[in-house]
Amino acid sequence: MPGGNYSVWRYSKLDQINTENVKDMHVAWTMSTGALRGHEGQPLVVGNMMYFESAYPNYVYAVDLNNIGKIVWKFEPKKDPNAPPVACCDVVNRGVAYSDGKVIADALDGKVYALNAKTGKVEWEANEADPKVGQTLTGAPLIIRDHVIVGVSGGEFGVRGYVTSYDLQTGKRQWRAYSTGPDKGMLFDPETTINGATQKPVGKDSSLKTWKGDEWKQGGGTTWGWYSYDPKLNLLYYGTGNPGTWNPSQRPGANKWSMTIEARNPDTGKAVWVYQMTPHDGWDYDGVNEMVLAEKDYHGQETPVLIHFDRNGFAYVLNRKNGKLLEAHKYDPSVNWAYKIDMKTGKPEVNPAKMTKAGVNVKDICPASEGDKDEQPTSYDPQTGLIYAPLNHICMNYQAFNVKYKAGFPFVGAIVNMFPGPGGYRGRFIAFNPMTGKTEWQIHDTFQDWGGALTTAGGVGFYGTLTGWFRAVDLKTGKILYQFHCPSGIIGNPIAYKHDGKEYVAVLTGVGGWAAIGLAQNLHKASAGLGAVGLTAELPQYTNLGGTLMVFAVK
Amino acid sequence: MTNRSAISLYSLLALVAVVGLGLTVQSAAAAEKPLRVCADPDYMPYSDQAGQGYENKIAELMAKAMGRKLEYHWASQRQEGGFGNFLALNLDKGLCDVVMDIPYGDPEELYTNSYYSSSYVFIYKKSKHYDITSMDSPQLKHVKVGYELDTPPQTGLKLRGLLNTAVQFHIAEKPHVSPKTMLEAVERGKVDVMITWEPAVGYYMHEFPGLKMVRVPNTRSTGSPEEYLFTMAMAVRKGDHSLKDELDKAIASHKAQIQQILEDYNVKLLPSANGSLYYGNGNM
Repeated sequence: MPGGNYSVWRYSKLDQINTENVKDMHVAWTMSTGALRGHEGQPLVVGNMMYFESAYPNYVYAVDLNNIGKIVWKFEPKKDPNAPPVACCDVVNRGVAYSDGKVIADALDGKVYALNAKTGKVEWEANEADPKVGQTLTGAPLIIRDHVIVGVSGGEFGVRGYVTSYDLQTGKRQWRAYSTGPDKGMLFDPETTINGATQKPVGKDSSLKTWKGDEWKQGGGTTWGWYSYDPKLNLLYYGTGNPGTWNPSQRPGANKWSMTIEARNPDTGKAVWVYQMTPHDGWDYDGVNEMVLAEKDYHGQETPVLIHFDRNGFAYVLNRKNGKLLEAHKYDPSVNWAYKIDMKTGKPEVNPAKMTKAGVNVKDICPASEGDKDEQPTSYDPQTGLIYAPLNHICMNYQAFNVKYKAGFPFVGAIVNMFPGPGGYRGRFIAFNPMTGKTEWQIHDTFQDWGGALTTAGGVGFYGTLTGWFRAVDLKTGKILYQFHCPSGIIGNPIAYKHDGKEYVAVLTGVGGWAAIGLAQNLHKASAGLGAVGLTAELPQYTNLGGTLMVFAVK
Repeated sequence: MTNRSAISLYSLLALVAVVGLGLTVQSAAAAEKPLRVCADPDYMPYSDQAGQGYENKIAELMAKAMGRKLEYHWASQRQEGGFGNFLALNLDKGLCDVVMDIPYGDPEELYTNSYYSSSYVFIYKKSKHYDITSMDSPQLKHVKVGYELDTPPQTGLKLRGLLNTAVQFHIAEKPHVSPKTMLEAVERGKVDVMITWEPAVGYYMHEFPGLKMVRVPNTRSTGSPEEYLFTMAMAVRKGDHSLKDELDKAIASHKAQIQQILEDYNVKLLPSANGSLYYGNGNM
């Protein structure tokens, strides 16, 4: 599965590669993905086969590990030209899922494909999203028994976000749960669905009450991030994205349940609990980042927790049974949109000077809308009990209502300019204790660290930089033990696998995504790409586009 | 005393003559410096390589008024990266000095005084007898609406829950696609009501006698301001105040001629942005 296990630890029990020998690591083999844009996914290894998906046009490959470089099959979905223009932040993909002889792949244009793992033949396809109304698919599916769980992208178009479960065998839709609107569409039970913040039932119309009129219909709350699952509690976890339109003045209220951690029964879709992190968002802090599941000592009691590094700069620890807030710490000290999370109410104490609103310019908001961490997944090492997190370290200025021009068509829009956070660097890789909020060590990087992390039983962690350095670090000290400069910047997530008794580490390189949108789309005005272009204007001096699979080994 | 005074006077006159001559030489140098305009070679009714667009005509007028020769640097505004890249890779890089159309107040470049204002419009078949005069007209909920991606109607439709049934157009992203296709879409019934920027299509309206055009007024009926009227200016590089001043003078002294050109292209002119909700840098 995309996150390594259902708890999305991205931890490998393999220990052949360790802190002693990793310095001798070398490239074992490589392969082009045939696609130029952002590769935010990871390969999957099942038996002797490796499966991976490229950025749009979403090629899916099956590669024979017994016969290196041999492509057993390649799937090329039909291209829908309507999809790329509505993809907000590059035409990325976050990988495939495997179960029961099927590879499940999402395509940017909204199609979900079930491919025969042996032949690549389409066994079924489903329509999850429609680019004509601004919807796209960029996420990785999660398979739970016979449920294929898929989320949707397109918050910029006021898409009303939803999660859908498809039958693994037939592709038939089993349930769909919306993020906003009437209880029925959200699969909420007003009596039994719990608000994690209050530990009380959400009550009737818990979403409708927090929107003016019909605005929930454009409520956003898209679901393009990572999914995790607790088999014991039989609960599916994920986060929802920003409310429909950025301008908060257009949508008074808490805008539930955007920016929310949701726990649902995967068999029925029913919401068991919900916890909203950023009510009435004014910064575009989508709450879709991964939910890491672990057992932690909380006041002397072993507690099933959910750990979530949110885009808003806080690391939340919740009891994953009921959504109760246990800890919330800033994982970047520069966070200034809120002072802290009130442990009693579960709500942020917002700094009013940093709230964006109609007609007001706001300077030095930290983090910028890309967040202190975006989709790049963390890793949890059960040996150290720490979270290893690739991060952004960036702030922004928000200029309300400027007139702009789009070849022949004038318009009004907010202008956002992002810039490096205090200290002048844009990325960090840290070891963090989510229970205490303590950062054990950190590495500063010039650009955002937009690729995922991997931890291994060998005591070595792996991550890649936007400039293309693939690194092995000592999980105890943060010392860089090995690094290799890859053909393109890394926004993909490393994996470790064993083949013929030998450990390999693999990662997809291929720069792009929101972090490198200027490079990916060849944009040159600083405020383009929702303000992200100026932030990485020098990136083309360090790397270039192009998807390549990199596989490393020791000896 | 008298002689000396006379001499002084002569000296003074001579000095004036020299200074005057100097000035003449300077303006002669300026006159030899061409007015370099970046323009799209194929984006009628704005501009084309044959000089047929209204931006071409206004550029000619400006060059003449400034006593300069007009030179073009041709570059599509509709390639990868769109208008932003057009500015960055051409005007900012110094391949030209002026871009003829930019909204007044756009902070990407230094802008001249405005030279026209126009608005977004509804376009539909006369035979439909719609009563559509604002974004809040109830009939909009029951018809198929077309709009250009990422323009003000998109926000307006989104706020009213009409975006999901509306049809996107991508005129500003595809080189060589004519804005006329928006009128054809109405004519052929692909959409019932097109909401678009009037100057992009006014030029072609005479080919579609069955179509009607109605201005979209600014509104704040949803509680948040929406702007459909825009005031347009020319762009020069940031810091190029001398060229801006020169253009401002030429605009001020050629108002009637500019207006005539715009009217020739059926650009509906509206009173400038005093009625506009937002103006400049975030001031209400």
